[in-house]
Amino acid sequence: MNSGVVGYGAYIPRFRIKRDEYLKAWGSFGPRGVEEKAVAGLDEDVVTMTVESSVNALKRARISSNQLNGVFFASTSAPYAEKLSSSTIVASLDGPSEIFLADFGFSTKAGTAALLSCLDFVSSGRGDLGLVGASDASQAMPSDSIEHGLGAGSASFVVGRNGVMASVEGAHCSSLEIIGERYRRHGERYLEDSGIAAYTEQAFNQALTISVTGLLTNLGLKAEEFAYAVFQQFDGRIAYDVGRRLGFKDNQVSPSMTVTKIGDSGSASPLIGLCAVLDVARPGDRILVASYGSGSGSDAISLVTTDQLVERRNRAPLIEDCLAQKEYIDYLTYLKLRRMLGAR
Amino acid sequence: MAYISIPTYWKTLPQRYNLIGSRCKSCGTISFPPRDICTGCHKKTEYEPIRLKGQGKIYSYTIICRGGAPPEFSEQERLGGSFGVAVIELEEGPRIVAQMTDCKPSELGIDMKVEAVFRRLYEDDDVIRYGIKFRPIRA
Amino acid sequence: MAIIGVGQSKFGTFIDKGAKELFVEAFEEALSDVDKGIESREIQEIYVGNLGVGGGQLGNFASMIADYVGLAGIPAVRLEDACASSGFAFRAAVLAVQSGACDIAVAGGIEKMNDLPRERLRYWLGVSGDTEWERLAGMTFAGVYALMAMRHMHQYGTKREHLAMVAVKNHKNGADNPKAHFQRTITLEQALNSAMVAHPLTLFDCCPTTDGASAAIVCRADLAKKYTDTPIYVLGHGAGTDRLGLYERKDFTALAATTMAAEQAYNMAKIQPKDVNLAEVHDCFTIAEIMACEDLGFCRKGAGGKLIEAGETQIGGRIPVNPSGGLKSKGHPIGATGTGQVYEVFKQLRREVVKPSRQVSGAEIGLTHNVGGSGGTAVVHVLSIGERK
Repeated sequence: MNSGVVGYGAYIPRFRIKRDEYLKAWGSFGPRGVEEKAVAGLDEDVVTMTVESSVNALKRARISSNQLNGVFFASTSAPYAEKLSSSTIVASLDGPSEIFLADFGFSTKAGTAALLSCLDFVSSGRGDLGLVGASDASQAMPSDSIEHGLGAGSASFVVGRNGVMASVEGAHCSSLEIIGERYRRHGERYLEDSGIAAYTEQAFNQALTISVTGLLTNLGLKAEEFAYAVFQQFDGRIAYDVGRRLGFKDNQVSPSMTVTKIGDSGSASPLIGLCAVLDVARPGDRILVASYGSGSGSDAISLVTTDQLVERRNRAPLIEDCLAQKEYIDYLTYLKLRRMLGAR
Repeated sequence: MAYISIPTYWKTLPQRYNLIGSRCKSCGTISFPPRDICTGCHKKTEYEPIRLKGQGKIYSYTIICRGGAPPEFSEQERLGGSFGVAVIELEEGPRIVAQMTDCKPSELGIDMKVEAVFRRLYEDDDVIRYGIKFRPIRA
Repeated sequence: MAIIGVGQSKFGTFIDKGAKELFVEAFEEALSDVDKGIESREIQEIYVGNLGVGGGQLGNFASMIADYVGLAGIPAVRLEDACASSGFAFRAAVLAVQSGACDIAVAGGIEKMNDLPRERLRYWLGVSGDTEWERLAGMTFAGVYALMAMRHMHQYGTKREHLAMVAVKNHKNGADNPKAHFQRTITLEQALNSAMVAHPLTLFDCCPTTDGASAAIVCRADLAKKYTDTPIYVLGHGAGTDRLGLYERKDFTALAATTMAAEQAYNMAKIQPKDVNLAEVHDCFTIAEIMACEDLGFCRKGAGGKLIEAGETQIGGRIPVNPSGGLKSKGHPIGATGTGQVYEVFKQLRREVVKPSRQVSGAEIGLTHNVGGSGGTAVVHVLSIGERK
């Protein structure tokens, strides 16, 4: 593939709620290893969050929005069931009116699907530059334990052929049909899952084993040849568990573990993790990114960083800068901001 | 009932999303929102669009509390509490009135430096109206 | 031009009375106020102010009013300049008589506000500024005046206490006004501690929403003595507009429309601000009264706070302002406020104020000042006992 990442950026909303607030409210807090999570403000949604992360990505890519030929947006919590979010993003960035738009959704692997599609779009020559934006701020019933971990965040990437910061060596993908693992029917507001931890873990392991093992085999690589391994993050443990199973060490995984501070950011999760790694990686580092899509499969991608990364990464806020901007809220405020209390 | 229709809102999206004003080619006055008759030379004239950068400082502000919010924002006030509204003097010259976000109202002050940010303003006719708010510039 | 009779309904909340019924009260009172009598069929034109809060009869409102007062047939028009609607209606009646188009005209106003749920009502409180930009930034006109107050405090050191003093004074005056919406005094502490609406303006810095109607009968000066031995003469009038959005104006601490209107009125009347013996000014918010005193020339620019602090605008002070209780206490039925101010000045100049404590003694020249919204429009009238100063 001759296309790669030429810019990246993230955005984490300002509000945070600590696990203590859940303990006070419910006496328990579902996700292991999550200390606090990010909460979108009343005037934010996945579209506004993507605009912010895209601005950061454009800054690092040193391009202006009118140079984009395609926008690939991903979310499982977009505001409209029918109306593109990508067109709003293009308009807000003052982008061109002649541009390809593609909106992805339906599972938490939508972000990597959007990234791979954009890489193909540029690689094939159909476009020179593409923007990928993945954001989520999912919701579930306040009394369901899956709700406890749901956070918010956005990651964007500019994809091109010149000035590549991280080139893509290859990708390998899997498809599964693990029904009822994580789903939301049309017209329903709240996410649901099977409620069986072992069922989720089995699905996660199966999906990633196929994609990651297949990728390593195809590229003739071993786990220890990767500097970093970024996995989908529902909580602070599952990524380590699956990582060890696949032959990775905890210290390859930990730099990407933003879930401990922002919660489950859905389709943005592995891509925010990738941003965190790009913030600290050295040129020539190999990075694995593997997503997991709600019982339906996984995309595994291998990237290698270049000198361009170090030269341009300080042009926009780092993940640690995003994490530092925060304001704590209590559980009652959380319910109001999430419109779970007092909204018609 | 007085309200802003979808086409009315749509017409102003270049202002709402991109802070596009107009600069009079005769006298250089920048208008935001754009006007047909230039407020500098008081004539119908030729304009060029100018994208304002969204950097500025607070000229005046207020904090809207329970009784002070129009219906479009009463749910926001009820759920999110009091919010700031400011008149901001943009770097390029014009003043803009906009809501403040990402800050506690008690942080607001005249001359505070602020920057534009893209947010949901409100919903009407089941359609989301996005626009520009401002937040403090933090180090 | 002269005024030969005035009428006003009580201002307040009247669930059982609509716009038509309230106007008839004011109209009938104006007719019977004419000392030597007048037949309603002598009225030749009607100018009625109304914003149209709540919808209702939005088209042909004036025709409905003319019909209801038994005058279907004569020319009638509704004027709308937000809260200055009936001030401009009065000006239109004066101009009609001044131009010779007619000899006798009625100017009045009505508003029904309090038969709406609060949320619906707040739509109407956000329509008179720049609806697209100011309202969609999250403000009703309380917010817009709050922006002015913040600059006034920043530039001139005006304090929240000064704002509260205006509320206290106007409630004190309104307590003795049987037509007022609120007839109770308040303390400075109550004013300062009441709920914040739009910082720094609290509930007690804001005028109420009110139902009410008012009317004034305007007549050619040389015909006035046929109807009364003590007509009140219109010595001068003036009007102006300003940029609709506050953010478009250079100075947030003054209303340019007021200054323009006052200058025209003073020039026409050939008087100076110091010649004014009492004034009904547009105190939709306490800060508005402070600014109005400066804009009308009762004190230097920026000194409005000191003026109220020194007690100069009390009844008995150098320049009594809002002896009726003002919009704050007498009430603000949007379309009816302008001619309601004319009602008060007429009564004061003819020494007919019911409660002696509210009567300004020795007044010869009075002024009415009526503003639309956040200053988009303003109209000033100078009224006098004598035909000239």
